[in-house]
Amino acid sequence: MLFKDDEVARAEAKAVRENAGWYRWTHDLVRVSGADSERFLDWMLVNRIAGTPEGRGKYTTMLDEQGQIIDDLVAFNRGGGVWWLSTLYGPHAMRWFDAHREGFDVVYEDVTQAWDMYSVQGPASAQVMAALLDEPVDGLKRFQIVERQVGETPVVVDRGGFTGELGFELYCAREDSAAVAEAIAAAAAQFDAPRLTTLEVYVRSLPMEKGMALRQDYYGLTPYEANLGWSVHLDKDFLGKEALVAAHAEGERRAFVGVEIERESYEDIAQKEILYKRGVPRGYVTQMIYGYTVDKNIGFAVVDAARCPVGTRVTIGCNDSPAIIVEPKWL
Amino acid sequence: MALLKHVATHRGVETAFGKIIPEKEAYSYCLRTIAAFSANVFQVMRVLNDDWEDRTEQITEIANMMNCAACAGGENELFQYLNAFYDEWNIPELVKRAAWIGAIWGDYGDEAEDMAGRVIQFTENRVEKELDTCPWDIVGSEMCNMTTGMFTANFDIAAGGEHGAITNDVQLNMCEARGCGNPHCRVVAERLDAYGLEHQGWLDHRGAAHAPVHDTPLERRVRHAQGLRNGQYVQAFGEENSLEWQYNWVAQMGWVWSISFPLIAIRDMAEDDDEFERILRIVFATAGKNSFIDFFAREGLRSWLDIPREIGDNDPRVMGAYIDAVLGCQLVPHEWEAFDAEGVEIRVSQEDFEGRFEMAPLEEITMGYEAQWNGACHTLVSPEWSVWIAEDDDDYIITVGRKVDDRAL
Repeated sequence: MLFKDDEVARAEAKAVRENAGWYRWTHDLVRVSGADSERFLDWMLVNRIAGTPEGRGKYTTMLDEQGQIIDDLVAFNRGGGVWWLSTLYGPHAMRWFDAHREGFDVVYEDVTQAWDMYSVQGPASAQVMAALLDEPVDGLKRFQIVERQVGETPVVVDRGGFTGELGFELYCAREDSAAVAEAIAAAAAQFDAPRLTTLEVYVRSLPMEKGMALRQDYYGLTPYEANLGWSVHLDKDFLGKEALVAAHAEGERRAFVGVEIERESYEDIAQKEILYKRGVPRGYVTQMIYGYTVDKNIGFAVVDAARCPVGTRVTIGCNDSPAIIVEPKWL
Repeated sequence: MALLKHVATHRGVETAFGKIIPEKEAYSYCLRTIAAFSANVFQVMRVLNDDWEDRTEQITEIANMMNCAACAGGENELFQYLNAFYDEWNIPELVKRAAWIGAIWGDYGDEAEDMAGRVIQFTENRVEKELDTCPWDIVGSEMCNMTTGMFTANFDIAAGGEHGAITNDVQLNMCEARGCGNPHCRVVAERLDAYGLEHQGWLDHRGAAHAPVHDTPLERRVRHAQGLRNGQYVQAFGEENSLEWQYNWVAQMGWVWSISFPLIAIRDMAEDDDEFERILRIVFATAGKNSFIDFFAREGLRSWLDIPREIGDNDPRVMGAYIDAVLGCQLVPHEWEAFDAEGVEIRVSQEDFEGRFEMAPLEEITMGYEAQWNGACHTLVSPEWSVWIAEDDDDYIITVGRKVDDRAL
């Protein structure tokens, strides 16, 4: 939980919004290769993977047979038929691939233990990276991935992150992690960019203000319900497409929205806390957090789409915390 | 009314007279009966050992050791065990997993046990948990120290940089405890190196936090945990446990940590088994008699079980129906052998009755409940009726019958 008066968290959030901050950000990493790797991923993932240029990546969801989201991830084309999938659910993805690999010449491996990952985020992040790396990365496009060096240490850098600010993610071998962290700290210090220590700031608060949700927020929704319809490519085949098309044709019954509560704090609101409209359950909150830039208690919720449009007044939880439905993006 | 799909799976426990105790109520009652059994066991301990420090130290040490043993195994086993746990709970690499695991373990256990509250802070160096309710708050101060000491094991098996090795890198304190009269329980884990702290001894788990704490205002406290409020528990990274899963887990594990672990030390406080069992029976008999000393307690039970007026006060079926409800809510399979005005007989396998957690059967459950129910029967029905538990091959027969005993407790 984060509270309004947490000055450490506030300072960390402010650093990323106005300057830069860095932190360890190791995702699960699944390496996919083989003659059919691209075709396999194009089938498993909703966004169009085929044709993604080498050195570029795409954000996408992954669906079950019912057309509902079971993961969201970034797929990077590392060249030579090799892909990196950056997910928070590596073991789950491996099992899901096992169940659907038949007919594909594909190899996949959870390489999470081989790679550590750091994130440098904020308007000044490119300057920090310039001080850190052998070559600058400020010209990278979003989800472009390149190889660089920190001193003599090889690293892989992409332009990405989960704060809604300009940012970079840096992969290094686990055995190089301590040295790379030390180098990042030294480069960041030149720009007064702190190491972030409050996980909730960079996992929930900063992303939520910018409308960025976690897989746990989207889980079980269709991409259309999750406001991710832009990533659906119905002109190709993918797992879950048939059910998704049918559900979309019927119209989305649930909506992924934002909520703002009108109390000082939200200690009585857990994930999946029930949301009521005039005393009747109409959905649930997926998470609440304090946003230090907007200075509000904000949250994501899944609600009855027809009954809870933006502007609807609701209550949340056992203590009837008053709240209002808003767009799920604050900045 | 609720939208969540789990609500459709809700069930109940049927009383002897056909009334359905809703699943949530049965679950709550199950928790409280286990806590009450634990409270009785702790009274036995206090009779056997009048030194608070000594007895608390003993139960805390054994609980910690048993919790380590339950999780650890050999080095490679622990490595695999932790990886499976990380996977099951989807604790991602982006956090320092080791810093979180104890807190996640504790949080899902707390929530299953309706120790309702919230994780105030979850950082690499510090975890703060606040609990507004605790069914075990009747047990007493030794338990508050013991559980906190016990759960250092969950941090210790994963807290250090040595994945797969047991370390001791965290101080764990229950700074406030409902069992000691505070409005909350507040459990704080703080990393030794980050806060410059010393390793704790077994009696050091009721200390103060080393960073400021957050106190939730009264109007935003909760009366029940997520399962009872929302139909499931959701952990920080989105993984869920259903209410059904939680109920089944508690009906097994509640007996382990709150009774089985401390009993290992408590038995050793007695000169021999005979002394331990004699005192245990006395304590439980007294607890049973006091359960129904008030007329409104008897009337309340009749209402709760929907006992018809045709069945009078001095009827063994009243007691039989009560035992049936306790077993039902504790998820113990059992069947009727007899249920009439002449007496009641309930058949239950010994394995089910004593082995709530299969790997740790407790014969003390039989001894304790026989004494407790017999005492309760004397006030709920009348002293003309008694309760005894007899072996029948692999089963027990729990009888409510007439018995004259010139040396009755």
